[in-house]
Amino acid sequence: MKDDYEKEEEKFINTLGATASLKRLIKDVAKERKSFATVVIAVVTTATALAFYPLAIGYAVNSMANRDMYGVIFYGLVFLLLYLIQMIANRFRVIHTTKISQLAVKGLRDRSFTSIHSVPISFFTVVKSGFLISRITNDAETIGDFLTFQIPQVISGFSAVILSIVIMLYLDPTLTLYALIILPVLSIFTLSLQGKVRENYLKTRKTIAAITGNLAENINSIRSIKAFNVETYVNSKFDSLNTENLDANIRASRLSSAYGAVIRVLEFIGISIVIYEGVIELQIGLITIGTLVSFIFYVQEFFDPVTQLSQLYNAYQSSIVGAGRIYGIIDSPKEIIPEGSVPVDTFETALELRNVTFSYGEDTALNDVNLTISNKEKVGIVGHTGAGKTTLSNLMLKLYLPEKGEILLDTNDTRNILTSRYRDIIIPVLQEPFLFRGTLYENIRIAKKDASNEEIEKLALEFGLERIFSRLPDGLNTDAGELGRNLSEGQKQAIAILRAIIRAPQVLIMDEPTSNIDPFSEKDIFASLEKFSENRTLILITHRFSMISLVDRIVVVDQGKIIENGDFETLMKKKGMFYSMYNIVNANDNWSV
Amino acid sequence: MNNKKISKNSGVFEPLLFSMKYLGRKRSTIYLIIVAAIITTATRLYVPVVIGSIVNSIQERNFSVLSYFVELILILAVVSAIATFIVNFGAQYASQHYAYNLRKKVVNSLTKKDVSFFHGSTSGDLLSRTTMDIDATRNFLMNTLSQLIPTIMMIIFGFVYMLYLNYVFALFFISTIPFLIYIGMVFQRKQRMHWRQIRELYGEMNERLQEDIAGQRTVRTYSLENSQIGRFQDVTGSYYGEYMDVAYLRGFYNNIMPFIISVAATGVIIYGGYESVITGVEVGNLVAAVNIFNLITFPVSFLGRLIVFSENARAGIGRINTILSTDHDEDLVSTGTFPDSNGIQFHDVSVIKGNREILKNVNMNIEPGSFVCITGETGTGKSTLVNLITVLEKCTSGYVSVGGVDVRNIPLETLRKNVAIVPQEINILSGTIADNIRFGRSGIGDEMVIRAAKIARIDDFVSGLPGKYETLIGERGITLSGGQKQRLAIARAVVTEPSILILDDVTSSVDPETELKIFKEIGKNIENITVVLVSLRYSAMKYSEERYILKDSTIMELDEIESMNLFSSGEGQ
Ligand SMILES: Nc1ncnc2c1ncn2[C@@H]1O[C@H](COP(=O)(O)OP(=O)(O)O)[C@@H](O)[C@H]1O
Ligand SMILES: Nc1ncnc2c1ncn2[C@@H]1O[C@H](COP(=O)(O)OP(=O)(O)O)[C@@H](O)[C@H]1O
Ligand SMILES: [Mg+2]
Ligand SMILES: [Mg+2]
Repeated sequence: MKDDYEKEEEKFINTLGATASLKRLIKDVAKERKSFATVVIAVVTTATALAFYPLAIGYAVNSMANRDMYGVIFYGLVFLLLYLIQMIANRFRVIHTTKISQLAVKGLRDRSFTSIHSVPISFFTVVKSGFLISRITNDAETIGDFLTFQIPQVISGFSAVILSIVIMLYLDPTLTLYALIILPVLSIFTLSLQGKVRENYLKTRKTIAAITGNLAENINSIRSIKAFNVETYVNSKFDSLNTENLDANIRASRLSSAYGAVIRVLEFIGISIVIYEGVIELQIGLITIGTLVSFIFYVQEFFDPVTQLSQLYNAYQSSIVGAGRIYGIIDSPKEIIPEGSVPVDTFETALELRNVTFSYGEDTALNDVNLTISNKEKVGIVGHTGAGKTTLSNLMLKLYLPEKGEILLDTNDTRNILTSRYRDIIIPVLQEPFLFRGTLYENIRIAKKDASNEEIEKLALEFGLERIFSRLPDGLNTDAGELGRNLSEGQKQAIAILRAIIRAPQVLIMDEPTSNIDPFSEKDIFASLEKFSENRTLILITHRFSMISLVDRIVVVDQGKIIENGDFETLMKKKGMFYSMYNIVNANDNWSV
Repeated sequence: MNNKKISKNSGVFEPLLFSMKYLGRKRSTIYLIIVAAIITTATRLYVPVVIGSIVNSIQERNFSVLSYFVELILILAVVSAIATFIVNFGAQYASQHYAYNLRKKVVNSLTKKDVSFFHGSTSGDLLSRTTMDIDATRNFLMNTLSQLIPTIMMIIFGFVYMLYLNYVFALFFISTIPFLIYIGMVFQRKQRMHWRQIRELYGEMNERLQEDIAGQRTVRTYSLENSQIGRFQDVTGSYYGEYMDVAYLRGFYNNIMPFIISVAATGVIIYGGYESVITGVEVGNLVAAVNIFNLITFPVSFLGRLIVFSENARAGIGRINTILSTDHDEDLVSTGTFPDSNGIQFHDVSVIKGNREILKNVNMNIEPGSFVCITGETGTGKSTLVNLITVLEKCTSGYVSVGGVDVRNIPLETLRKNVAIVPQEINILSGTIADNIRFGRSGIGDEMVIRAAKIARIDDFVSGLPGKYETLIGERGITLSGGQKQRLAIARAVVTEPSILILDDVTSSVDPETELKIFKEIGKNIENITVVLVSLRYSAMKYSEERYILKDSTIMELDEIESMNLFSSGEGQ
C-alpha cells in the first residue's frame, strides 16, 4: 500500500528520467565555467602525471641496469616532479570540484525550496512533507557527495588508464595486449554482477527509508504513544524494520566483499600474465627490464579505477534518481499567474462566490455554492464538523481554486488578481494556528515587519489577551518552540488572532478563532473585535454561538451546500438546522432549576 | 561527565570506544578482522617482494625459478583474496550489527523518556540524531575496520619487508611516519569546527523545511514567501561556505600526505640507484621497495578521509548520548495492580514550571463513575492538571491518587491502560482509520473498532468513505477536518473501554450538538466510567455532574448557577 503512495508522489511530481536528469545536472554543474574548466585541466593533469610515473620508474631501472647515475637521478627527480604536479593539480581539483558541486547542490536546494512556495496548495495533499524534506536534504546531499568525492576520482582514474594504455602501446604493443587480457574479464565480471548489486542496494535504501519514516512518525506522536501506553508496540514495530535493514545490508555487503576478493585474484593473475610474457620477450631481447617493471606498475594501476567504478555505479544510481526527483519538485506546475494579472489595491463592493464547486479528491467538499458578501458586511458561517466551512474559507483565501464556478472580488475573477495583492486585502485566522520557532513577538511581527513590541503589547491589552500571555514564563518574549509546543492551544489561537489584527486587513476571515479560548477572554476579544471590524468585512466561522451576535448575517453550511442564509431572527423563526444547533447551546431557559 | 572525559582523552578514537559498547557479541568479529587484516597485508605486500626477486633473477639471467615465483604469486593471490573478503565483510557485518543495536537502544531510550524531554528538542533534531548521527558513527566504525586497520598493518609490514630488503630503505620509510601522524593531527584539529558546523546547519536546514511546509498556509496567506526563501538561502549559503573551508583544508592536507611518501620513494630510487650503480647489485629490491611505497600511497591518502569520518562521528556521539543517558527516564514501578475504585483524588498538589506556580495546593475529589468538567481561562493549567493523572507530567509536591492509590505506585503500563487520555494535540499516524483507532494495541477486534467509532460519532463519516475503515489517513492518506480528527481521537481512547477517560478540550472543533451526543454515548456504552472533561463550553458544563474552575492556581467547585453566570454575559445577543 505504502509503495503505491510513493509511486503516486513520484508520478505527481513528474520525476525526470535518468538521461534527462544527468544532462541537466551536467548543465548545472558546468554553469561555473571558470571552475569547471579548472577542474577539467586539473583532472587531465593528474591523469597525465599518474600515467607517466611507472614510465619514470622503468627508465630509472634501466638507467641502473646501464649503470648510468645521471639517468637515475634524472628519472628519480622526474618521478618526484610527477607527484608534485599531481599534488598541485589535485589541490585545484579538490577546491574547484567542491565549489561547483556544492554550488550546484545549493542551487538545487534553493530552487526546490522556492518552487514549493508557488505550487498549488493541493500539491501538499499528495506530496507529503517527509518526502519533500528527504529529497531536499538527503537526496541533494547524496548528489553532493557523488559530485564532490566520487566522480572526480573515477574520471581521473579512468583518464589515467586510457593514457597508460597509450603509453604501453608505444612501449610494446604485444605485451600491452597480454596486460589488457584481464580487462575484459574484469569488466564482464563487474557488469554481470551489476543487476544483483543494484537490487541489493535498492533494498538497503528502501529499508533505511522505512526506518526513517517510522522514526519520524514515532517522534512526532510521542505524546500519544505515552498517553496510550503503546511503547512496546512501537519498539517491536521498529525492531522488525531494523532487522529488515540489517538483513538487507548484510546481504549487500556479502556480495560486494566477494566481488572485492575476486578482483584481488584477478589483479594477481594479470600481474602473473605480464611477468610470464614479459620474461619471454625479455629473454629474446624485445624489451628491457625497465619496460617490464613499468608494465607491472601499469597493471596494478588498472584495478583501482575499475573497483571504484563499481562503487560509483551505486552512487550514480541514487544520485540520478535523487536529481530526477529534485528536478521534479523544481518543475512542478506552478499556480498559474495569468498574463496581465490585475493588481487590485482595494476592495470596493462585494466578494461573490458564483456556482462554486470544489473537491479535494473524489467527494465534493463544496457543491454549487452561491454567496455574496458585501464590503463591510459581517457574515457568520456555521455548520457541523466536516460540512465544508474551512473549505469555503480556503477558497476565499485563494489557497485553492474552484473547480467550477468563480469567485469575484468587485467583478474581477480572483483567478486574475495578482495573488500577493489579493492577500494584502484578505487575511485569515486559520483553524489550526501555526507558530514559527522564535518568540511570540516575532510570531506576531511576521504580519507587520515594523511593529514595535509596545504596539504589540498595546494591541494584546486592547483585545484582552494580555492576561493569557501573562501566564507564560516570559510573557510575549517566550519562545514558541517547535509548532508552538511551549504554548497551550488557546495561547496559540490568541497569537493567531493578534497576528491578523495587527495587519489591519480590509477583509478578515476567522475560522473557529476562539475554539480553545476560554469564554471569559472571549468576551474581551468579542468587544474589541466588534470595534475593530466596524469598517471592515468580517467572515466568522464559529461553533461559539456567543460570537454570533457579532455578525449581521448567518450562513449555514451542510454537506458542502449552503442550506440556510439570513439574519438571526429569520433563521430562528425558520426552525431549521441553525435553530436546532442554537437551541442545544443556548438552552439557558431550562438551565436554572 | 564520563563522556566528556572520554572525548578529551581518546580524541580521534572516541567513536571507536563508543561503538565497542554496542557491538555486543559481535565484538569477537573484530579480532577475526585484525587477524585477516594481518594476513591480507602480509600477502599483498609480499607480492612486490616476489616481483623484486623476479627482477633480480632476470638480471642474473636465471629464468628457471620464474615459474615457481609466478605460482607463488597465484597462491598469495588466493590467500590474500580470502583474507580480504573476511576483512571487508567482517567490517560490514560488525558495523551493521553495531548500527542495529544502537538504533534499537536509542529508540528504546526515546520511548522511555518522559514528556518533558521532548519539550526541549525539535522533532527534526531528534530525527537527525537517530538517523544521521548513528550513521556517521557506523560509517566511521566500518572504515576503521576495513581501511584503518589494514592501513596500519600495511605500514607495519611495509617496514618489516623494507628491513628485509635494505635497512636504508626501511629508514626512508619509517621517517615518513611522524610527518604523516603530525599532519593528520593538524588536519583533524583544523577540520573539527567545520564539520560540527556542517552538521548543525544540516539540522537547521531540516528544521526550516519542516517548519515551512507545516506552516505553508500561514506563509502564503501572510505573503511570507520571500522572507522564508531568503532565510533558507542563508542556511544553504553558510552550508556551502563551510564546505568550501573544508575543501581548502582537504586540498592541502589530503595531498601533502601522499607527497611525503613519494619524497621517500624518490630517496629510495636515488639512493638505491646509487648503490646499484656503484656496486652492481641487482635492482630487484629497489623495485620491490618502490612498489611497496606505491601500494601504500592510496591507503594513506585515504587516512585523510578517515579523519573526516571520525570528526563526523564524534560530532554525532555527543548528540546520541543525550538520548542514551537516563536523564528524563520515566521512573517505573513494576508491580501493583489497578485499584478497584475509579475515583480520582488530588492531595495538596502543586506544580511549578519555570518560575511560575501553575498549581498551588490543589485538593479535589472526583467520585467514581462521575462525569466531571473542569474549566478555566486559557493557560491556567488545565492540561497540566489532567496530565498529572497519568503521570504525563509530575507534581512538584503533593500527589494524585486513583482509588486511594498514589498513581506513582501503579505501574505506568497498568495505569495508562486503564486511564485513557485524549491529549489536546492529536497525532494521526499514517495507516488506515482502523489502525488509528487501534493505535497499536492488540486484541481489538473489528466490532470493537466500529463500536468505538459509533460512540465518538465518526462511524457515519467513515462508512461514507469508499474504503470505509480501511481508508488511509495521515501523512499518506486523506486529510480530516479538525472536528473529525478530534472524534477519531476519542474513538481511539474509548475503544479499550477504560475505567477513567480524560478528554482535554478535544471537542472544541466538534459542534455542540454532536458533542453532547458523544458524551451520552460514552455513558451509555461504558459502565461506571469516570469521565474528566476539560471544556470551555457552557453546554458541556451543563451536561456534567460536577463542575470545577481553575483560577489563580487553585481549583474551585462551581454550582450550577455559578457556572451559568460565568457564561451568561458572553451570550449577549
Ligand atoms: N486537504 C484535504 N484533503 C482531502 N480532504 C479534505 C481536505 N481538507 C478537508 N477535507 C475533507 O473535506 C470535507 C470538508 O472539510 P472542512 O471544510 O475542513 O470541514 P469543516 O466544516 O469542519 O471546516 C471533510 O469531509 C474533510 O474530510
Ligand atoms: N516549560 C514551561 N515552563 C514554564 N511554563 C510553561 C512551560 N510549559 C508550559 N508552561 C505554561 O504552563 C501554563 C499551563 O499550560 P496548560 O496546562 O497547557 O494550560 P491550559 O490547558 O489551561 O490552557 C501555560 O501558561 C503555559 O504557557
Ligand atoms: Mg473547519
Ligand atoms: Mg490545555
